[in-house]
Amino acid sequence: MATGQSESGLCRRLASVVRVQRLGSLTWLVLFVPGWPGAKPGQFAMLQSERSRCFLARPFSVADQLEEQVSFLIAPVGEASRELCGSRTGEKVWVLGPLGNGFDLEAVTKDAQRIVLIGGGVGIAPFPLVLRNMRGAATERPLEVLVLLGFRDLAQSQAARLVRAAFDLSSRERIKGQVLAVREDDHRRRGVMVSDLARAHMRPGDRLLACGPLSMCRALWEMCRSIRDVKAWFSLESTMACGVGACHGCVITRVDGSFAQVCRQGPVFRGEEVFGG
Amino acid sequence: MVSLAVDLAGLKLDHPLINASGTMDLFALAESVGQEVLERPPVAAYVLKTVTLRPRVGNPPPRIVETACGVVNAIGLPNVGIEVFIREELPRALELACPIIVSIGGESAEEYAEVTCQLARAVAQLSGSEWTSRVGLELNISCPNVTRGGMAIGSDPAETSRVVASVRKVWAGVLIAKLTPNVTDIAAIGKAAVEAGANVICAVNTYKALVMDRSSLRPYLGNVTGGLSGPAIKPLALRAIYDLYAAVEVPIIGMGGIASVQDVLEFISCGATAVAVGSALFREPYLPRVLAQELAVFLDQRRLTLEQLTGFAHRSV
Repeated sequence: MATGQSESGLCRRLASVVRVQRLGSLTWLVLFVPGWPGAKPGQFAMLQSERSRCFLARPFSVADQLEEQVSFLIAPVGEASRELCGSRTGEKVWVLGPLGNGFDLEAVTKDAQRIVLIGGGVGIAPFPLVLRNMRGAATERPLEVLVLLGFRDLAQSQAARLVRAAFDLSSRERIKGQVLAVREDDHRRRGVMVSDLARAHMRPGDRLLACGPLSMCRALWEMCRSIRDVKAWFSLESTMACGVGACHGCVITRVDGSFAQVCRQGPVFRGEEVFGG
Repeated sequence: MVSLAVDLAGLKLDHPLINASGTMDLFALAESVGQEVLERPPVAAYVLKTVTLRPRVGNPPPRIVETACGVVNAIGLPNVGIEVFIREELPRALELACPIIVSIGGESAEEYAEVTCQLARAVAQLSGSEWTSRVGLELNISCPNVTRGGMAIGSDPAETSRVVASVRKVWAGVLIAKLTPNVTDIAAIGKAAVEAGANVICAVNTYKALVMDRSSLRPYLGNVTGGLSGPAIKPLALRAIYDLYAAVEVPIIGMGGIASVQDVLEFISCGATAVAVGSALFREPYLPRVLAQELAVFLDQRRLTLEQLTGFAHRSV
């Protein structure tokens, strides 16, 4: 996967904001990225508003792409992400990417009884592209996919419709299954978390792709270990400076005590590598 | 077009723009952007990440954080150790289309000398007889994020002198001393390094710093303290280059917050022969090449040569 070089001689590309859509507390940002070479699902890009007051770019999962139109789901957690959420159509955003390993859908779908996607909060971001690409992977036999989404509150849960839309599109083409969502402020189901949904629904032979808070990923892996023949891949996040393996700032600790660069060896890791066997 | 070629005590660069050690990994970058970056590196010389005698895993995370106009890091020199470095990383680096500068670290003069001995043997084996114009050695005696060695050496003139002299005995090529700015008088350290045999001075490494976690009000970084880089330190770094230029005769590699061609001009005017981009590479890996092009345009427009600009701030008008 080559990002090559833009016409300016720079490595990153100056993209234009095509659409900014508020989805409750999250923002769907669609960029036109000239020369975008296409991302694997689970890859990310470093984004920075052209007129940012911050020094560095920040990493965001590629949420969807259609040729040079690339979308991101952004939570306004700090100054840099708030700048991106506040973008207007026509404004410019620097894009470096696609970066990282991404989900290996071939390995995931091979011999899979069923694929389970579990997302927590803004961690649902990579799933529209995952579902888009799974349509391609489902040519030989129908794929069964279960999507479980967890949100903090009503405002955050508005973003669920992105995944539902991608799923509906997918299900017309040989993918069957369903999307279930919970939110922690739901009075009728007080205290039900996405990991509880997972416990109720996951079964032997499932292949899990998960993205969300570290505590959620860790809880899911603990649960996976008690179910026979489950394989799990986790897309993790970390504070990054470069995104391209140079600074060694984004490391996480593997089970064996060694450090892994989230930007280069990740962001997608096997459960046993980062959470233990 | 004006010539941008510079000579760092025998190390021949096409232009003055290089990277700071630890801020660029061309081989990791190639995994994302493709192999072209290895055939046409965006720097006039590629400075590798510091290597030490034994492998190091580095500091516990979190390791890096953005602050006002800068970055604070406490990476802690993770590396594979000189043996694996020579076997796996040096050969491919020597095949790059530009000169390389190998950065080494250590805890004592003996350790620096041992690493250098192994490196010198390997370079002589792998390269032809002309290697001294293509391979430089940088002594990282200025890392603020290790418990032994590093900055402890570079903040003491006698220790600096001891380390540089011990390496000078076993290294025939260009020897660069990378200095810490966390000292009262950086010029005195620079002089000690040059008198002991360094033929290039590189300054500055990061400023020792501390970042607090906003909510817990405890130190944020796993290593507690870190080193500050980026535009925040530019005026401090310019002062260091200015003082060093007045104190030593050897070429200076200037760095500290360089992010634009204006920054490049200011460092060269203060006395830098070459300049390194560090933190700004994190947002744009090809910045050195772009800045070199902009430097050429500036010099052409003003009908200036690089020599005329170098140290210009020190001359009366």
